[in-house]
Amino acid sequence: MTRKILCTLLVLMLLCVGALAEGKNIPELTKEPLTIKLWDIATEDPTKSIQEGAVARFMADYPNIKVEQVHQQNDNYKQQLIVAMSSGQAPDMYIHWGGGPMAEYYKSGFVNDITELYNTYDHPDFIDAAVAQATYDGKILAIPFGGLSGCDIFYNKTIFKEVGVEVPKTITELEDVCEKLKAAGYVPFSLANGSKWTGSMYYMYLVARHSGNDEFNAAYDQTGSFTSEAFIWAGEKIQEWVDKGYFNPGFNSLVTDNGEDRALLYDNTCAMMLHGSWQVRSIMTDSREWYEANLGTFRFPEDEEAKAKGVPQNVEIGTAIGNGFSFNCWKEDGSVDQDKLNACYVLATQYYNDDTYNKEQMANNTTPSIKGFEVGVEDPNMQVVINTFFDASNVQLWYDQYLPASVTEVHKDCMTELFGKTKTPKEIGEAQDAAMKAELAK
Amino acid sequence: MNKKNSLERATSRSTAIAAAVFLFPALAMILIYMIYPVVDTFVTSAYQWNGISANKVPVGMKNWQDLLKDGAFWSAFQHNLVVMVFSILLQIPLGLMLATFLDAGGRKFNIFKVIWFFPYLMSSVAIAFLFNYILATKGGIFSEIAGFFAGKKVYVDLLGKNPSALFAIIGVMAWQFTPFYMVYFIAGYSNISPSLYEAAIIDGATRRQYLFKIAIPLLGPIFKTACTMSMIGSLKYFDMIWNMTQGGPAGGTELMATYMYKLSFQKFNMGYGSCVAAGMFILITVIALLFQKIFVVKEDY
Repeated sequence: MTRKILCTLLVLMLLCVGALAEGKNIPELTKEPLTIKLWDIATEDPTKSIQEGAVARFMADYPNIKVEQVHQQNDNYKQQLIVAMSSGQAPDMYIHWGGGPMAEYYKSGFVNDITELYNTYDHPDFIDAAVAQATYDGKILAIPFGGLSGCDIFYNKTIFKEVGVEVPKTITELEDVCEKLKAAGYVPFSLANGSKWTGSMYYMYLVARHSGNDEFNAAYDQTGSFTSEAFIWAGEKIQEWVDKGYFNPGFNSLVTDNGEDRALLYDNTCAMMLHGSWQVRSIMTDSREWYEANLGTFRFPEDEEAKAKGVPQNVEIGTAIGNGFSFNCWKEDGSVDQDKLNACYVLATQYYNDDTYNKEQMANNTTPSIKGFEVGVEDPNMQVVINTFFDASNVQLWYDQYLPASVTEVHKDCMTELFGKTKTPKEIGEAQDAAMKAELAK
Repeated sequence: MNKKNSLERATSRSTAIAAAVFLFPALAMILIYMIYPVVDTFVTSAYQWNGISANKVPVGMKNWQDLLKDGAFWSAFQHNLVVMVFSILLQIPLGLMLATFLDAGGRKFNIFKVIWFFPYLMSSVAIAFLFNYILATKGGIFSEIAGFFAGKKVYVDLLGKNPSALFAIIGVMAWQFTPFYMVYFIAGYSNISPSLYEAAIIDGATRRQYLFKIAIPLLGPIFKTACTMSMIGSLKYFDMIWNMTQGGPAGGTELMATYMYKLSFQKFNMGYGSCVAAGMFILITVIALLFQKIFVVKEDY
């Protein structure tokens, strides 16, 4: 009798376990003690507590697995990582921004190919652009866990109303708005080009509006060139705008990390700013009051000439993954440490990116790059950002992250010289071509 | 006789052992943290290596050949030379002036000593941020002063243009390092025996004559060391420049060290970065040795 009860109990228990396992299709993790070294750059709240929360939930469910979470300073992070990799101290799981560096880490053997895991087991339903950005050479190399960032024009609604201008739909209209703003004594754009990638946003968008993705892609593999029509057009447009005084004086020495470009919006010197959507969060933190009274957002206007020729006007600039985790789990003999890799995969897909995590991210005005999250956005500015992003036919990752690392530096210096008018659009095109050629020849 | 000899030998042996024991930790440190990295830098400079991969490709002297033809490196070196010349011309005379002032004032000027030494105590990164705000085109000191006199908004853009960016940096460096040389010269002054001053006064010298004819010439060796230090310091300068301009605008403030950092850690080109570092090492050593040879000062009275 007792045996029968025991048997029933056992069967019941097995069924329960089976049901639990059925709910989620994830790899079964080792029961042995295991330590995962994790590096991120979450040094500040709320990001810090959100990410520590994910790790804590994981460790509660798998008490035998210990996660050593190290928060590195963002400024030194890339350098730290290189030093760690070259001295055999690399973490098992680490943050990066995709693009050129991710490819470099992979080629050097510090990234596990997770294509098979990704296709076999559960993962959040990431948007296509995010998966594309986590992929190199046809292999999935990272799990996104940051949010997506668009690039749009943030403007001062109060100034627009005072001057009597509407949100421009085309570049011609934008120039018209700029003239009217100038006549009213405002500087149209706030730009902190000391950071260089800030100026690059104007360049990228003008190229994208004039030629979609085609010319950039051709320049990237050098079947085309950075001196092709759209690049020259974009460069000339920028220098024309500089001449007309559309940017604040002294932009080449302002640094965006210090918020020097935002400061020009706050004191009503400038009326607009083309920037990444994280600025919404920053402006809100700086002053909720100012934010609610003044800030509006619109997408980069269209190029009507190119549109007439059939060039798609919905190629947007931004990043779909924000941050990704790559895994670096190998055994002594160089084969994949599958136990550890599985554990990392489960941590990144089921604990980062779980409901709690995503809800906290949304509360922090970060939109996860997962399908379905475009509907939950309430903030009007973030709505514009998200809609622009999800309506895009293609999201072009920032050049300074997409280009190979050696070309990035050249590109950034070119932005200083283009805006500073020390070089012509053709000259910077040639400089970028030369760098790209040298990289391809490697 | 024999006994004394053996005793002498025993003492000298035990002194030698003691010396070896006491010197060993320092020597080991120098070997591990100074000699080995320098040697390794030279070794790495013969490879094409991205800094992380296990796959180091030996390329022989190719990096060195590239270095000789590398316009960016030589322009960085030129910037270093400009910084070096102006550092010596600014920091050392200013330091001497401040030290002379403090020396003449004696104890009642101690408060100035503390205040003037302050910049040297700040971290370079903090100074970089401080001066980014001070030199800012908007709301910075220069823009505000110019605006006050012009009666309208004026934007003085020092860091965003060439060559003003390099000279702005030189100014900030002078602000940072002058106090160091000030203290150095104060120490020098205090080493001059008071009897010299008394003798000079008794012989009818004025304070000015004492200063220019006796005290400053006596500081000769200190000048030499100060110049050498300032020279080496400005040839390998990195931290503040990195935090202020990152070598920008468009390479206008690129120094050898920032160029090396960019190559090694941002462009994934550790092999060539090491070559630049090794090149820097050679250039700095040569310049410092030449300086030591050329400038001979009388070491005593």
